[in-house]
Amino acid sequence: MTEIVVGDQKTKIKKPLPKSRQMVNEQTAKAYADAWEAKRNHQPIGWSTAIFPQEICETFGVPILYPENNAASVSAKHMGEQYIEHAEGAMRYPINICSYARLNIGMADVLDDDKYVSDPKMPRPDFLLLANNSCTQLMKWYEALARNLNIPIFFVDCLFNYYEEEPSSHKVKYVRSQIENCIKDLEKFLGKKFDWDKFLEVQKISQQNRVLFNEIVELNSRIPAPMSGFDLFNYMAPLVICRGKASTTAIFEELKKEVLEHIKNNTSTFPGDEQYRVHWEGIACWPNLGFNLKTLKRYNVNAVMNGYVTAWDVAYEPGDLDGMAKAYQISSTNSLSTPTIMGKRVESMKHFGCDGMLCHVNRSCKLMTFHIHVGREMVEKELGVPIATFDGDQSDTRVFSEAQFETRLQGLVEIMKENKETKEGERD
Amino acid sequence: MLTMGVDIGSTACKCVILEDGTEIAAKAVVPLGTGTKGVNEVVEIALKLANVQRSELALVYVTGYGRFNFPEADGQRSELSCHAKGMKFMVPDVRTIVDIGGQDVKVLSLAPNGQMINFIMNDKCAAGTGRFLDVMAGILDKKTSELGDIDAKAKEVASISSTCTVFAESEVISKLSANVPLPDLVAGIHASVAKRVAGLVFRAGVVQKVAMSGGVALNKGVVRALEKEIHSEIIILDDCQIIGALGAALYAYHEIMKPKNKE
Repeated sequence: MTEIVVGDQKTKIKKPLPKSRQMVNEQTAKAYADAWEAKRNHQPIGWSTAIFPQEICETFGVPILYPENNAASVSAKHMGEQYIEHAEGAMRYPINICSYARLNIGMADVLDDDKYVSDPKMPRPDFLLLANNSCTQLMKWYEALARNLNIPIFFVDCLFNYYEEEPSSHKVKYVRSQIENCIKDLEKFLGKKFDWDKFLEVQKISQQNRVLFNEIVELNSRIPAPMSGFDLFNYMAPLVICRGKASTTAIFEELKKEVLEHIKNNTSTFPGDEQYRVHWEGIACWPNLGFNLKTLKRYNVNAVMNGYVTAWDVAYEPGDLDGMAKAYQISSTNSLSTPTIMGKRVESMKHFGCDGMLCHVNRSCKLMTFHIHVGREMVEKELGVPIATFDGDQSDTRVFSEAQFETRLQGLVEIMKENKETKEGERD
Repeated sequence: MLTMGVDIGSTACKCVILEDGTEIAAKAVVPLGTGTKGVNEVVEIALKLANVQRSELALVYVTGYGRFNFPEADGQRSELSCHAKGMKFMVPDVRTIVDIGGQDVKVLSLAPNGQMINFIMNDKCAAGTGRFLDVMAGILDKKTSELGDIDAKAKEVASISSTCTVFAESEVISKLSANVPLPDLVAGIHASVAKRVAGLVFRAGVVQKVAMSGGVALNKGVVRALEKEIHSEIIILDDCQIIGALGAALYAYHEIMKPKNKE
């Protein structure tokens, strides 16, 4: 933000968004517009969990929107409380369940009520796509949606992987058969034949996009990083909602160009002076994203990498349905055991040169919080870096405390500073 | 050379004036927290006790919850680092510090050289904090400062199972109406705090020596209960309330003594 003075008036002017961010916004707007257009034309549209095999509906050419992504956007714009209040009030859902679920179930109940305004607004779905590879609450959430809206669920039941990074063959067979079954069921429901040639093309595009995103994330391992780590949260959107579309390829190509330009010019989108690099564990606190970034900037801390954005790195060979079935079971580390998750974090922290770790103890997400307290000890033991935890929530604004976040970040910075000074002293 | 450290907490303000980084020239505690006249009062009291003017202070550092609301300070540090620094000064071989403040609990792990290597804090909940004890004292119509002595007379420890301040409040009220003896009830309240804090201490790891800072350390009942929970002796200093302010004064001193500032 730049401050300019006109007469006696100080006006804050926002820096124009980089072209890639504008493209993301346009893409998101189009995804919603397409869904609304289909709705107006009485064509079916679906709501999907964030890591469902999107290749299927992309092939069918049916618009799909993503409640988790929508909840994040609505929360970041501070428009989520109204739906959470409705879910906890009139709908009697308890505060203890996921706030994305409360927000979305509340929203689904008032879709036609003009009193409720949010952006972006999703049209009423005709069916649901559910994969439980990233969260165990999704099943009950979607069951509630299906019951309340009287629509069907197409379900891919993914399995948890204890102490195995590669799911064993029976798990692959199980998920593959469900993907095939889903395709058959959707053919019936949509009244459309599935085009396997188009499916292969969508798979190819999806792979191209995830590889491009990985390359961009990898560029942030440079010291200093060319991007604020929080940018990764923003650029996740194309992977979540349009992973199989060519428009995502165009966005990531543009983004990669911009990041390389930053590297060439030794500039960065991180607004501060990057003195410390940390790994962010957990989902962003969407309603507090601005405060978090400002505070990180004030303490010259760039959260260069996180354990969240790699969840959409669904890697397989196009045409290999077994590979696809396997990839959808492991791309989110939520389906892995704690030592495996933390082993990945340790490698990532080494690779990204992190001086510490900042863990979001997310009141909503038990699955992503359960491993933090034991997991931090694993990271501490392996890397000897300081770790701070803070309370927050992905959507519920009542949990986060600005003072608590700042004190813990400051404490973390003070330890990282002493560690650096000690290391420098040893070198001298 | 004099440096000052001010610790603006949520329920009390503390101030230390330090001479040459080694001697405490003055110390003061005012039981008023951030956003009150407590800050100015505690500073004035300390200046009077040391018999010095503000202009004689080489550097003033501030810490605590209200550290961003004291523009007179030359610098600020988190209360985490200040408690570590202050306690290391008082107990050179301390490795674990438990600080129970008005609204938070901190457990600090120190390396043998005194450097803070990690910390664990309570979640966003008042159970286990000084505020919890204030609320309970209010229900019992006692002063918080009286709770330690009352606890000493307990024959049994009443069970307070709630981990939430509000629920614990109603539990205490129900036990009061069931005529549970006051000392047993107070001992139960202290055990409830100790259990909550012990969870954090275990997460950080109990490395000897263990010391405690913050106003709650003056409550012998809590200390006894916590020692029992963590199976460790806890060092309590008479000056346990001023450790954060002392740490801030030490940081101020070390800032001046940095090579760049010597010229």
